[in-house]
Amino acid sequence: MQKFFSVTVAALVLTCSAYAEPLTSADEVVARANLTAYYGGADGRSEVRMIISDAQGREQRRQFTVLRRDVEDAGDQQFLVVFSQPSDVRDTVFLVNKHVTRDDDRWLYLPGLDLVKRISAGDKRTSFVGAHYFYEDVSGRRPSEDTHELIETTNEFYVLKHVPVDPQSAEFASYVTWINRETFLPMKIDYTNAAGDVYRRVEVLAVETIDGYPTVTASRVSDLLSGGKTDMQFRYIAYDVGIPADVFTERSLRTPPREWLERKAD
Amino acid sequence: MKVLIPLLLLPAALFAQDDAWDDDSWDDEEASSNWSGFVEAGLGTRFSADPLINTNNTLEDLRWRLESRWQPGKATIAFKADAGYDGIENDWVIDVRDLTLAFAIGSGADVKIGRQVQTWGTGDLVFLNDLFPKDFVSFFSGRDDEYLKAPGNSLRITRYSPAVNIDFAWTPVFEPDIYLTGERYSFFSPLAGGNVAPNPPLSAIEPGESFSNGEFALRLFRTVSGREYAVYAYRGYFKQPNALTPALEATFAPMSSLGASLRQPVGPGLFNTEVSYYDSRDDRDGDDPLLPNDQFRFLLGYEWEAKPNFTVGLQYYLEWTLDHDALIANSPFPQYEPDEIRHLITNRLTYRANRDKYTWSLFTFFSPSDRDVYLRPVFTYRHSDSWSLTTGANLFDGRDEHTFFSQLQDASNIYLRLKYNY
Repeated sequence: MQKFFSVTVAALVLTCSAYAEPLTSADEVVARANLTAYYGGADGRSEVRMIISDAQGREQRRQFTVLRRDVEDAGDQQFLVVFSQPSDVRDTVFLVNKHVTRDDDRWLYLPGLDLVKRISAGDKRTSFVGAHYFYEDVSGRRPSEDTHELIETTNEFYVLKHVPVDPQSAEFASYVTWINRETFLPMKIDYTNAAGDVYRRVEVLAVETIDGYPTVTASRVSDLLSGGKTDMQFRYIAYDVGIPADVFTERSLRTPPREWLERKAD
Repeated sequence: MKVLIPLLLLPAALFAQDDAWDDDSWDDEEASSNWSGFVEAGLGTRFSADPLINTNNTLEDLRWRLESRWQPGKATIAFKADAGYDGIENDWVIDVRDLTLAFAIGSGADVKIGRQVQTWGTGDLVFLNDLFPKDFVSFFSGRDDEYLKAPGNSLRITRYSPAVNIDFAWTPVFEPDIYLTGERYSFFSPLAGGNVAPNPPLSAIEPGESFSNGEFALRLFRTVSGREYAVYAYRGYFKQPNALTPALEATFAPMSSLGASLRQPVGPGLFNTEVSYYDSRDDRDGDDPLLPNDQFRFLLGYEWEAKPNFTVGLQYYLEWTLDHDALIANSPFPQYEPDEIRHLITNRLTYRANRDKYTWSLFTFFSPSDRDVYLRPVFTYRHSDSWSLTTGANLFDGRDEHTFFSQLQDASNIYLRLKYNY
């Protein structure tokens, strides 16, 4: 509880100071945005559903629960994603041990074969279960993988341009983020390809303050070339619920932790 | 085929899609329909006739999958079964793949009792320490990958602790692989000096039911800094009927094994290695021509994403038959005995396009020592959350008649499967 308060107070102080005097360091803005977008509380849970639409408007759906635990703020993290819909991916479980200083460790459990499949480090900017989201979008891209430049500060946003340190590591040439000056949530991200065209956009559609943390509750990824998109909604969100580290192990792949997956009464 | 179409359309009417996306109706797992599954039709046929088999078809499946789960208290009861008709075996089939009671003991141990599919080890379609039953007939016929693993009746206890996790599986009644019987595919018989398709189909003699004839499988495993270490032990039988009784009937030889594996990231990909020693308990000197010899097995593998959405996997596998001189000296058919060292190279290429809507894959087994090859091209089209279509082929070729893949040359087939998920 103490950590919860201190983090909240710190967030308030930071927010106020941000308003008083805009930040001028791109790295500092990125660090704060990374914290806000991925490190709210010491841990968290959320239920997520996605509507995946192709250019012809045909829809597919996914529903899953995400559990997250921070090993340390702005540092290593653990994620567990347990699918409930549709029936052909039900009970599929995705486990990520995210590392700041080395590649993430990722496993996928396929219940039909009782198979714990490991996913190679390179395989991260590919579709996450058929969505326009990438595997990397689930757990976040390491800030150190890009160089950051503050290109504009408007009344509402810090506008930054990011270029990958290793151009081979990603399909984009660069991306631009609009980071809310008050909440530090990235509200829009435009990805530009080598030809100079914006081909992919991530937008936040709704934000709510939950347990004191500004939280995205609806977002969209659009493929601007094909016309497809994936809408994501988040519900039953809770922070600082005390998820222990041993929830994020091989045990949870075979036996998902019901205690942490079941919805708590609000 | 006439009968298949209306049957396939049936579930669409039965399980009308409920719209879980109205804003206030988040699908609550407890409340929503607990039943799911699929209906699938599959057809496969040979490229050329097998003179020993009276049908050219290799797959005539119509199956209905039903699965559900109940959670009384802290326990979980799971149920998953297929019912359907197998046109090749000319029979109705009920295949219970999961019927288990699972619960925790204290905070650190999980127990699962009942019929279940189990998998461990690091190989990709190559098995060293995974001695749980496999269904090679399904695998060679183009059924979904999940059917490669056959269910068994087991007690599984897994104890988790920071020092080491301990996994124990007891299968009281020996569960062999689903092996080649001559019903769907003919197979090589050293006694006949060629392929045979016995009628009635081969039914190997299984060990009698007693405590000591059961299967005991143990795995100790731990992950440290992204490195997965495991040690394995097994006491049971060879899973294939590669032994003969004194009356020359096919049977299973007693076998114990000990092994280890490591899987870890290396560079942009994943590296795995696994070793296993098979102790043929009744033929340790290797001089009994009726029983298989001891074996040492070794695997090296590497998998990486070569281009976005394009994954490449390579494996080198070695099977070293020990006391090979004794085997050859005592064998009535030395020309058909395995080489002292059998090498196998595998390659998996997977390309996924359009957000996994289309998946092309090619898995190749190639043995430079046996001089045979097995190619598995597969294409999957996921039309929607409900409908998917899979087509592929199983292609076998080789120089000699008697090697593992070569004996299946007349089994080379092409297949198509249509699936409706509900």
